[in-house]
Amino acid sequence: MSSLWSKIGLSALLVIFIVALGWVGYRMFMNDLDPKVRTIIYVPKTIDTSIEFWEVMKQGVATAAKEFGADVHTVGTDTELDVDKQIQLLEQAIEEKPDAIILAATDYYRLVPVAEQIKAAGITLITVDSGLNGGVSESFIATDNYEAGRKAAQKLIENIQSDDQVAIMNFVPGSATAIEREKGVRDALSQNGVNLVQDTLYSNGSSKKAYQLTVDLLKNQPQIKGIIGLNEPSTLGAGLAIMAMGLKSKVKLVGFDNSSSEVQLLENETMLGTVIQKPFTMGYLAVKTALEVVSGHKVAPVMDTGSEFITKENMYTSENEKLMFPFIE
Amino acid sequence: MNPHRFFRSRSIHNNIAISFSLLILCTTIVLSYTSYRLSSAAVMGNSVAYTSQLIEQVKLNIENYISNMESIAALVLTSSDLERYVKGSSSGQEGKVKDKQLASQYLRSVVQSRTDISSIVYASSEGITVSDRLDAVLKPLPELIAQEWYQQALNQTGVAVSSSHVQHLFQDEYRWVVSISRKLSDTFSEMEADRQGVLLVDLNYSVINNLCKQIELGKRGYVFIVDPSGSLVYHPQQQLIYSQLKFEQLETVLGIKSGSVTVNTGNEQKLYTVDTTSFGWKIVGVTYPDDLVANKQQMQGTAALWGAVSLIFAMAISVLLSYALTKPLKNLEINMKKAERGEFDIRVEIESTNEIGKLARTFNLMIMKIKELMSQIVMEQEMKRVSELKALQAQIKPHFLYNTLDSIIWMAETGKMEEVVEMTSSLSKLMRSTIGEGEELIPIARELEHIRHYLTIQNMRYRHKFTYSIEVDEDILECSILKLVLQPLVENAIYHGIKHNPEQGHILIRGKKEQNDITIQVIDNGVGMNPEQMNKLLLQKADYRIGSGVGVANVNHRIQLYFGDHYGLSFTSEMEEGTTVILRIPALYEEENP
Repeated sequence: MSSLWSKIGLSALLVIFIVALGWVGYRMFMNDLDPKVRTIIYVPKTIDTSIEFWEVMKQGVATAAKEFGADVHTVGTDTELDVDKQIQLLEQAIEEKPDAIILAATDYYRLVPVAEQIKAAGITLITVDSGLNGGVSESFIATDNYEAGRKAAQKLIENIQSDDQVAIMNFVPGSATAIEREKGVRDALSQNGVNLVQDTLYSNGSSKKAYQLTVDLLKNQPQIKGIIGLNEPSTLGAGLAIMAMGLKSKVKLVGFDNSSSEVQLLENETMLGTVIQKPFTMGYLAVKTALEVVSGHKVAPVMDTGSEFITKENMYTSENEKLMFPFIE
Repeated sequence: MNPHRFFRSRSIHNNIAISFSLLILCTTIVLSYTSYRLSSAAVMGNSVAYTSQLIEQVKLNIENYISNMESIAALVLTSSDLERYVKGSSSGQEGKVKDKQLASQYLRSVVQSRTDISSIVYASSEGITVSDRLDAVLKPLPELIAQEWYQQALNQTGVAVSSSHVQHLFQDEYRWVVSISRKLSDTFSEMEADRQGVLLVDLNYSVINNLCKQIELGKRGYVFIVDPSGSLVYHPQQQLIYSQLKFEQLETVLGIKSGSVTVNTGNEQKLYTVDTTSFGWKIVGVTYPDDLVANKQQMQGTAALWGAVSLIFAMAISVLLSYALTKPLKNLEINMKKAERGEFDIRVEIESTNEIGKLARTFNLMIMKIKELMSQIVMEQEMKRVSELKALQAQIKPHFLYNTLDSIIWMAETGKMEEVVEMTSSLSKLMRSTIGEGEELIPIARELEHIRHYLTIQNMRYRHKFTYSIEVDEDILECSILKLVLQPLVENAIYHGIKHNPEQGHILIRGKKEQNDITIQVIDNGVGMNPEQMNKLLLQKADYRIGSGVGVANVNHRIQLYFGDHYGLSFTSEMEEGTTVILRIPALYEEENP
């Protein structure tokens, strides 16, 4: 009986060693063949290299890709307006079966069906900068635009009287970003007793239109003491109009985003300041989050990458320099 | 588990195998682990050395760039064009403008000769500004001299090297540069102290960016540069650090001149390899010790693989070895088992002269001795049996002799001479055959002859109280039978069956062959026996004092001793009907006798 048990024990020992050997071999084999490179397709609103915002976001994406060892392809349309092309590109992307897709949606509603298709194909979807109706994605990584709006309004309030009149230069009605920024602005104004707010003006993303609207507004309503531009062209148009009309000491302007034209407005003190976003952080976090989701971690459904209020005084601090003047190779 | 018990419950073969295996297992693990640790330390050391070399190379390159800029600055400061304009030696507005143009042209020629220079500007507090660009609009002087490069150069002797920053000298131009600025008064020493000016040479940031970016340190490693004030000159993830998504331990770095240090940031270990340039920048190579993990895992794998392979070989060898060692023992054990079953003819082959060989020889000697003793016992037993037989054969009861002699006397007295003669003759033959020639087996015919004489005597003694008949098949007459086995049976029939029967009885002796056996029945029609009496008859010990029943038990005993337990006596009896005793022996013909 005891010899039987010994035999069983000995065989078990042998089996364990063989299994261990097999396991080690398997691990080595798998390590050589499967370095676990995740593939990600990154779809920004546009691949137009002249638009700094998307170039910087791409840098963030590339930095994260290098750090986490992911394989990231970028596909995109030539302009931010080509919604149909973006849908088509996403359909192609699904065919490639990547681990994740990072999307900056060109339309809040129209991309929802293709986003559902992405999810149905078992691909992780992360939205960045501009989200989708219904929160289809695993995570939405963007500036908290409501908070950014509040920040802009706060700076204006500090420089005007509470009974002064204020105008808002928005870009498009119906854009989620636009709506949230305006809501933030309006809430901050009314909470601080600034109630004389004009009807919102829409520049349709054109600095020329913004310029014209501002000129008309200031001619007809000279009592206006403050203007808030909710994106770069809207701010620039308003700023140029104020400068041209010689009203920079009378009308205070705060704006959004950065461009060298805006920097000049800051430097010549036409503009109090501008709220800028952090596209590098967005791109970086999007890749990081996508990889976390792919490897099975829980992530927050919404991530705020934050915003900064830049003035002439703090523009050249080393922190803000990088945001205001991104170094593009 | 108690180790003693553990080893006691297993065979030596397994014990040896297990012990060897454990020993080998421990050795292999220790060796594999040690070699893994050593090679992993070597890889680590190599990686650190490699990183240090790279970082030194980066440092040398950057120092080279900066010293180039310095020499350009020195060159510019010795140029007569610039000197003339700065000193304002030309008189009149026109001459000054001309001087400025010449100075600017000179600066432009320097800038154009090198791609790494972004711009060269000279500014002095009394309002003299000149750049390499004639058409570009410089910012107003108060703004210029408030800028860091100007202030830094004023406040220190020699060359001031700025961190990377956006240069905003010209309107609508925002370039990333590293500024190298120098007080003019150092060279134009004859100038008065209040006429201080600063020469600025801007180095394209992309030069440093490209230099650092191309450095590959493992999979994720990178290089960053920090200036003595702790601000980052270059960092691939600068924005993440400003957003506080990433951290670098800058205090640690600033405390090191050169060398390596391991730091913990967040949940990861980083290895900083630091080198310091002549003007104070720290070049830091960041490697992740975990990056070596790919290598490490491979090493782990290799160590484990070879460990396992040698382990399996060693285990196989240990099993074989233990088998070889215990084989003679097993052999001995098998032979001992045989001896246990009673085979004493075996001999263990002695293959070696070691302990087991000695054991085998001793075992062989023991078996021989046992065999000797066994045969001795068998012989003694045989002798004992023979002597016992002799004793049994010698049991001619004196009573019978006395009684017979009494009868003869009585008959002689009454003058029955014929009968005296017959009885005496029978007695004489009876005595002769009883004493016999000492042989044990006799033909049945002779035994029957003997019983006839006996019956003659008894018949006469009991005055013809019975008749008898003998019906034995002819073909068994020559068969052998033990001597004197029938007489006790007949005696028993007379004393217990016939004697107490008031009528005249009859004794029938019937012999026949049944297959390989011979049965001889002694049948009487006397009073019969109950089963108790019958049992008693067979079980009685040889006790010669009590009647003739002893004789029956003796017969049974003798037959079984001689022929085996299959043979012997059996009885059937019914009260008032008679008794039949059946004697069974094997059919042995004379020539087959042992």
